[in-house]
Amino acid sequence: MALLLGVLFMVFILLHITGDPVSLMVSRHASPAEIEALREELGFNRPLMVQFADFLTDAVQGDFGRSFRYRQPAMGLVLERIPATIELASAALLMAILMGVTIGILGGSNPNTILDSLARGLGLLGQTIPTFWLGLILIIIFSLHLGWFPTYGRNTFVLFGMHLPDKSIILPAFALSLFTTGQLARFTRSAVLEVMNEEYVTTARSKGLGKMRIYSRYILKNSAIPLISIIGVQFSYLLSGSIYIETIFSWPGLGNLLAEAVSTRDFFLVQATAFFTSLVVIGLHLVTDLIYMLVDPRIRYR
Amino acid sequence: MKKQNKNALFLTLISLFVVSMMLFAGCAGEAEDEVDEVGEEVSEEASVLRVALTTNPNTIEPATGDTRTASNVAWSIFNSLVWLSDDGVLEPSLAEDWSVSEDGTVYTFNLRQGVTFHNGYPFTAEDVVFTWERGLGSDITYREDFVSVVDMNVIDEYTVEVILDEPNSMLLLQMNEHWGILSAQYHDEVGEDGYLQEPVGTGPFKFVEWRTGDRIVLDAYEDYWEEGYPRVDRVIYRPIAESSTRYAALVNDDIDIVSGLGPEQSEEVQNAEGVQLVSYPHDRVFYITFNNMSTGIGTPIEEKLVRQAMSYAVDYDTIIDRIFDGHAERTAGFVVQGNLGYDPGIEPYPYDPEKALELLAEAGYPDGFEIELAGPSDTYINFEQVLQALVGYWGEVGIEVDLQLMESGRFWELQAARELPPLFGDSWSSSTGEAFPRLVGSVGGEDASYAAWLDPVLVEMVREIQLTPDQDERAEVYTNILRYMHEDPPFVYLYQPTAFEGINDRVQNYNPRVSEQYYLKGVSIE
Repeated sequence: MALLLGVLFMVFILLHITGDPVSLMVSRHASPAEIEALREELGFNRPLMVQFADFLTDAVQGDFGRSFRYRQPAMGLVLERIPATIELASAALLMAILMGVTIGILGGSNPNTILDSLARGLGLLGQTIPTFWLGLILIIIFSLHLGWFPTYGRNTFVLFGMHLPDKSIILPAFALSLFTTGQLARFTRSAVLEVMNEEYVTTARSKGLGKMRIYSRYILKNSAIPLISIIGVQFSYLLSGSIYIETIFSWPGLGNLLAEAVSTRDFFLVQATAFFTSLVVIGLHLVTDLIYMLVDPRIRYR
Repeated sequence: MKKQNKNALFLTLISLFVVSMMLFAGCAGEAEDEVDEVGEEVSEEASVLRVALTTNPNTIEPATGDTRTASNVAWSIFNSLVWLSDDGVLEPSLAEDWSVSEDGTVYTFNLRQGVTFHNGYPFTAEDVVFTWERGLGSDITYREDFVSVVDMNVIDEYTVEVILDEPNSMLLLQMNEHWGILSAQYHDEVGEDGYLQEPVGTGPFKFVEWRTGDRIVLDAYEDYWEEGYPRVDRVIYRPIAESSTRYAALVNDDIDIVSGLGPEQSEEVQNAEGVQLVSYPHDRVFYITFNNMSTGIGTPIEEKLVRQAMSYAVDYDTIIDRIFDGHAERTAGFVVQGNLGYDPGIEPYPYDPEKALELLAEAGYPDGFEIELAGPSDTYINFEQVLQALVGYWGEVGIEVDLQLMESGRFWELQAARELPPLFGDSWSSSTGEAFPRLVGSVGGEDASYAAWLDPVLVEMVREIQLTPDQDERAEVYTNILRYMHEDPPFVYLYQPTAFEGINDRVQNYNPRVSEQYYLKGVSIE
């Protein structure tokens, strides 16, 4: 709670020290008197603390103010964008886990082989490749040349009354997943490496257990804790919406909305987005902690 | 041996993943074809026009839409009383004809009968009055286009009198630009918010759906009053912010019309199959202003010779060639080609550093001087580079310029507060076919928030435009202003950029105007 308040306060202060949106709201022919009148009407001439207190009072009651630009309640606009971002983040996380963990196990279980170097290389590449550039390259290869996927946007089909994204989600999700893939690959690799040398693995080996059993029962399970925390952190990062990916692929999610809200100084919209994002990050950390308990009975919270 | 097995296992896993991805892609692809995206049936022969938007409209109503993108969508839904044709002539729209009183303060409009809004409500004089009253609201973006009207009289259901307190030669152009006629009755029922979210107009297309950031869907209005329009059954607008993506979408046939392409993309569109390039110079002038209203007071820029010298010192052609690959036009002033009263006889300043040095010496600054220049960053294509080039050219004649680039929001705020340095760069567009908005905003006097140059002679001349309803007389005033502002320049006139758009070969009759406006009612798909 205190954390949430802190984030909101920071966002509020950072927004307001850059000025107010009034000059962007009026047309370029407005007179100084008109600008001042609008500033007064919107309350931007009041002390910052009063404005913040006002914002909080309303926010507690579920009113996050109106977007100046869209002339609509800010939270409504945020809620409208959430499904698209959740879809993209989930798809990206799924891809990242499948690819990252696979690459990591491959590398970690064959230390110092070509396979390992490759795994480390891929992991590093995933984390360092500029997403903006990657997005464009993906569009050029898979949309323009191969024609497999649409070039932009979110297209949906209806299944049991739900609007679900079709294949248009694959390119943006893939581009978004790479950073997480890289991180997961590297973590998995080192976790596997560490566990591999534990005595219980040697014991399991000498018992003559099958490879699969050793991996699933002993190695993966014991490397799971650091992986879960990384996945939790990464998911909250993915859920806050990627400005670059969503812009490149014109994906109607939170990142897209936030980029626009910041550049047009749509204060209440930025604040509503920040509120939602911080809520998600805090919530996911909590969930991650709870999952620890399920996976490792030794961990207990009092 | 064992090791190989294990590797094979993982390889199988990976390939399984890849295959499932493909399958997923395949299934999803089929599903897409079966179900219409909007969830509403559209027959197979229906013609659908897909238009890319460069930004996300804030509203799709003419008086509140804050960008050209927004108003372009809005004018598919709404009509005004008058309409500016492709040739720049004012034509009847919801008004069948109109007359102006001798003194130019009373306009009487005869309204078109039998016109209905998209929800079936009839269009009458009440709706015109309501549109004006609402336009006066303090939160209406283009309020200033409504304030010259002081009263309205409803003579009968289809006749309305518009009263001004002084002549306003821009009134009809302002109506064409921002008076989208709203239904008074519908507004009464749903309120302002409801109206903006599900707008109802009398225009060629009716509102179907708007998912912000994703798409705006409009369908042809079957009872549209203009015979034979519109010519497609459905328009889908999709915001695509990134120009590279717009280009890819066009070439991949994922969209039919895109605007705002860069010079590099324009060349690729030209070479691609199935698409065409559309290009024209924007009605947008880039300039450096001399600021004699605040920080420039007491600096050398108050001197006419200095301002002329600075105009001579810049190699504009090289800037256009190097920074814009030649895709921009020089301009001699704020009245540009295509504007009323444009005179090609008044030529842009040539690049003549010798002359610049002479003028500086004559003005008493043989060794130059130091001055500050500001500009917005990440706002206009390559504008930062242009500003840097200017710093170089002025440096060569001894004028040492300190360049400050600022985030655009901050820049405009300082501009409105008159706190920018003695020199700053920006651009000004005009969409009415006349240079008036650009002139009144930049040199119109103290009341114009973004003005930085005050010259009583110019203020008077700009005012004269407003008071001159006769088009030919007004043209003469414009020419005089152009000449005056060339001889005693309040600005260094830089260039008009070339606009690039791309359309699919199937698209017919698409005619964007120099103001970057377009109307889709006549556009068809082969």
